[in-house]
Amino acid sequence: MKLTSTAVLLAALFTQSVLAQSTGRVFVTNERSNTVSVLNGTTHQVEATISIGKRPRGIGISPDGSEVYVAISQENKIAVFDPKSLKILRKFDAGDDPEAFAVHPNGNVYISNEDSAKATVINPKNGDVVAEISVGLEPEGVAISPDGTRVIITSESTNMLHVIAVPEHKIVSNILVGARPRAATFTNDGKFSYATAEIGGEVIKVDMVTGKIVQHISLGDDKAKPKDVLLSRDGKHLYVAGGRLNQVIILDSDSLALIQGIPVGKRVWGLAMSKDGERLYSSNGVSSDVSIINTITNTVIATTKVGKFPWGIVIDD
Amino acid sequence: MLKKQRLYISALLISSTFCANATTNQSNEIKLSFIGDSESQAFLGVQQGIDEANAQGRFLGQVYSLTATPSSSIAIFAAMDAKKISQLSKVYPNKVIFNLTEEDDYLRSYCFTNVLHTIPSQAMKDDAQKQWQKKKPSSTANVQTWHHTFKKYAAGQLNIRFTQSTDQKMTNTAWAGWAAVKLLSDSLARNKFTDTANLLKFFKTELAFDGQKGMSLNFRDTGQLRQPLLLVDNGNIVGEAPVRGVVNTTNLDSLGLSHCPK
Repeated sequence: MKLTSTAVLLAALFTQSVLAQSTGRVFVTNERSNTVSVLNGTTHQVEATISIGKRPRGIGISPDGSEVYVAISQENKIAVFDPKSLKILRKFDAGDDPEAFAVHPNGNVYISNEDSAKATVINPKNGDVVAEISVGLEPEGVAISPDGTRVIITSESTNMLHVIAVPEHKIVSNILVGARPRAATFTNDGKFSYATAEIGGEVIKVDMVTGKIVQHISLGDDKAKPKDVLLSRDGKHLYVAGGRLNQVIILDSDSLALIQGIPVGKRVWGLAMSKDGERLYSSNGVSSDVSIINTITNTVIATTKVGKFPWGIVIDD
Repeated sequence: MLKKQRLYISALLISSTFCANATTNQSNEIKLSFIGDSESQAFLGVQQGIDEANAQGRFLGQVYSLTATPSSSIAIFAAMDAKKISQLSKVYPNKVIFNLTEEDDYLRSYCFTNVLHTIPSQAMKDDAQKQWQKKKPSSTANVQTWHHTFKKYAAGQLNIRFTQSTDQKMTNTAWAGWAAVKLLSDSLARNKFTDTANLLKFFKTELAFDGQKGMSLNFRDTGQLRQPLLLVDNGNIVGEAPVRGVVNTTNLDSLGLSHCPK
């Protein structure tokens, strides 16, 4: 435990140097092209395309920024590549049909295995399985609290958020939410989480201490199939990918009141935010492009064509 | 007349009820009964629904099981013809009855208070066919509730689960059986009540069920589950109804009788 806190402290001390080494690139998985598009973070142009494996979906970056992980669902593996050289370094087994995952501050990856109703924790350095946790049907979204003590797995066909304690890897609560919960995210202090329910057309705010839903809203449009969700860096705004509504929806994070919708490409699912919080990226599945949003003016500043059915986005900044 | 009907139903129950294992009566135990052929796809669908209800129930302290005595169950799942369904509704006026197999329009227009239909009516299928013909006049596609090749909206995941547990392809009536149990269990997970009146009210006003067909589903006042349908040609899904370009794709009431006749 002490070791971990020292490691976190060291990582914090070296943040500056890590930032200096980062490529500034934006990586996008293309589910139907079996590729990762590499975007220049300044020009927004595609610099390179990596052939990564069959049906790439979830994507994440190691805490030190040295490796990018991609879930290649149809190969039951996670591929690892170098964000600088863009070389594929290795692939490791990731359980049955890995879809979404999140990277813990300690470096482990937490993966949802859709067809086997479980979450798998893997050390990406050696591919060792650290833990397996049985959850509800069709697990999908994975969120990790900023302090690393809690992980949320959403189960889409059991309609629950399963809250898992780390390092025990035991479920501490199961929170029933709207139909087909797809993604979740924590507040910076870890006291609340937000989740989207795709079929219910809802966004939910949960008190992580009591495990109770404290706020929820219906997006009120049959086309709104909310998927990804994330908070602005100051925690005031919640960004929701609106699915077939073709908008990124901005909500007040406290009241969940609608602030505005930003029109993007068709069938928006994935979201990612720059470290400075000034740029928001959305992957638009049907129009096969990525929208880059300036979060100060809430306008789309660029749209970049990528591969077919872009799914996940991660930024090396 | 009533006595005669009751006798008929009792005989029917003895002849065709699936006999589940005797189970202890715990407070968190939820009992369901099935009436019909226990070799049928509808029954396999009900069993799949029960497996999934228990997958959720283990996090909530709920255990679902089948009982051979409908009077001790929360709901009755029926794979029977129109006449028998209508008799069943009179013999068990205080039970929720799910019709899993009968497409007869009469059962919808009669608007039984306690009968719910997860299988689409003939009129819904006819309307889907008409919409499709407007878009593709020469198409030979026919209308289905479900198809084993259906992948979108996580339908593929349900097909995988069903085939893993039964070694069979999931058909229309299997989906209707699965959906009936799943929407009941999801409603029981969310609400404290288990009585028929409150359940029926909830199903027709507040239900937002994920039938793994891409839309939120609930019931009409006729007792019919609103749902999208599939157009299947030569073993392949070629379209969905409500048909895009012909009607608004979210207008599920463009299929079949939308309200009880006044």
